[in-house]
Amino acid sequence: MNLAHWFSLWRLSPQSLKIGSVILLFWLLVAVVGAVWTPYGYSQLGAGLPLSGVSWDHPFGIDQLGRDVLSRVLYGAHIVILLALAGTSLGVVVGALIGLVTAYIGGWLDEVVQRFAEAFISIPFLVLALLVIALAGPDLSGDPILIVIVVAFVYTPRIARMARAAALDIITRDFVTIAKLRGESAWSVVWRELLPNTTGTLLVEFSLRAGYAPALVGSLGFLGFGIKPPIPEWGLMISENRALILAQPITVIGPGMALASLIVGLNMFTEGLARILGRTVRLGEQ
Amino acid sequence: MTVWRLVIGRVFTALLTLWLVSIIVFAAVEVLPGDVAGRILGRNATPESLAALRLKLNLDAPAIERYWDWFRGVLQGDFGSALTSKRPVSQILADRVVNTLILSGAAFLLYIPLALIPALIQAVRRDRPVDHGLSIVTLLLLSTPDFLLATFLLITFVIFIPVFPAVSVVTAASTLFQWMSALALPAVTLAVVMAVYAVRMLRDNLIEVLDSDYIRMAELKGMSARRVLLRHALPNSLIPTLNITALNLGYLIGGVVIIERVFAFPGFGGLLVDSVQVLDIPMIEATVLLSAVVYIIANLFADVGAILLNPRLRKG
Repeated sequence: MNLAHWFSLWRLSPQSLKIGSVILLFWLLVAVVGAVWTPYGYSQLGAGLPLSGVSWDHPFGIDQLGRDVLSRVLYGAHIVILLALAGTSLGVVVGALIGLVTAYIGGWLDEVVQRFAEAFISIPFLVLALLVIALAGPDLSGDPILIVIVVAFVYTPRIARMARAAALDIITRDFVTIAKLRGESAWSVVWRELLPNTTGTLLVEFSLRAGYAPALVGSLGFLGFGIKPPIPEWGLMISENRALILAQPITVIGPGMALASLIVGLNMFTEGLARILGRTVRLGEQ
Repeated sequence: MTVWRLVIGRVFTALLTLWLVSIIVFAAVEVLPGDVAGRILGRNATPESLAALRLKLNLDAPAIERYWDWFRGVLQGDFGSALTSKRPVSQILADRVVNTLILSGAAFLLYIPLALIPALIQAVRRDRPVDHGLSIVTLLLLSTPDFLLATFLLITFVIFIPVFPAVSVVTAASTLFQWMSALALPAVTLAVVMAVYAVRMLRDNLIEVLDSDYIRMAELKGMSARRVLLRHALPNSLIPTLNITALNLGYLIGGVVIIERVFAFPGFGGLLVDSVQVLDIPMIEATVLLSAVVYIIANLFADVGAILLNPRLRKG
């Protein structure tokens, strides 16, 4: 595709997709730059006078320990985005695999897996996440890998249910029957027939789930079960600076706006994507 | 009667799911590698403390036997005794659950008008500035995580417009006014989070219904716009919203976990967070199971409600 083609594609895409993409590109850029360069070090003490408020040098103020809040927000971007994307990707891959395979195989295995998925879904999001964290024990607490696994674990049954429903719709079609008659293996049918035909659903689902993942990661950080200090994960920063909201509300509003705007971008992108692919999506679904 | 067969089938599925949740909650503790006692004590473990804890949790008995003992207790409302305070779990839970029920009730009462009014305005003023404005507002609120919304509300109302207390301290001796002001911010936060999710759905449903032939018919009959909207369009858009409301109730149970922490409200959610912090396994098992029970019952009511309200399903 050449440049003109991309340009016309952009012009024809829904407004929400355009705005969402711009916000997401902004945050991706911030994540890349913030990972290697920030005005002050993210854990640099004495970047300014503690609690000295908003100034040109420190637009988001200075926290209790004298760290520059803007630098911490910028450095935290890649952490929040990486955790959210890694967790969502793992959840979508595992969930899609379970959903597609059980839908194709059917029978008692499908029934059992579906019942268990239902049971996992009936444990509220955050409660399930906390259960996994509790069971991992204190030694793993704060490990980024654990956070990724928690996000993936919470999403897997929901994705599996979605993928199964989408696959069931495809399985009855003639081309799947023909593939079976050709003697293709179960794996080959799932990989070559079911997966390509459920890609749209899975993409929208990925985008939707990725939109909630930063909130989940932030919630865990806020409760003290996420990434450990001094790493500036946004939820953790909001929780740390909450003690200062009377004196320095900006130290909470700064990371708060960062988190909210990232999720706004993801949600608008999801809405636009769903519209292009002709699917309905319920934003905010947990 | 086909409809009752549907309802009974749905109740049976709910019970099955509930039983599976109890297995998941119990098995989760078992399947992870390593010894439960060792995991609870972590690096502070000594051979003596490990042995004492193993005895306390009866870890030397086979897992199936322990599950059966636990499950039989749960059916009778006995969740064992907490590891930390040594009081019965059900006793500790009782007070907290009542507080959370009051909070959830308040949130739910606020939720209904907060969901209905903006959706009605948007549907009637479709594609006008009001509709677009409200769409942007709901998108922004939808994208603000609950703990952040709570914190923003806290900043606004406690610092800039100081009317509510930052921390909800309520005891049995608190007056009604103290209860009301302690409940206000957490209940508003929960209600807003639930409402924005429902508003978008309800708006789209209303618009779809308002475009239908029987609404056109009612309008042509000369019925007042208000009566068309409230008597004909609204009831028909509510059935899909029932499902959303059940999902919202499920959210509510998870939402209180974090909202109670933000406002230091002494409820069930705070208890779960504390139990996770100290790895109080009987408490964790009880709280997780209880939150799943609420979700399952809410969904059961929504599904049965949808079956009973839908004349097409009723005829079967």
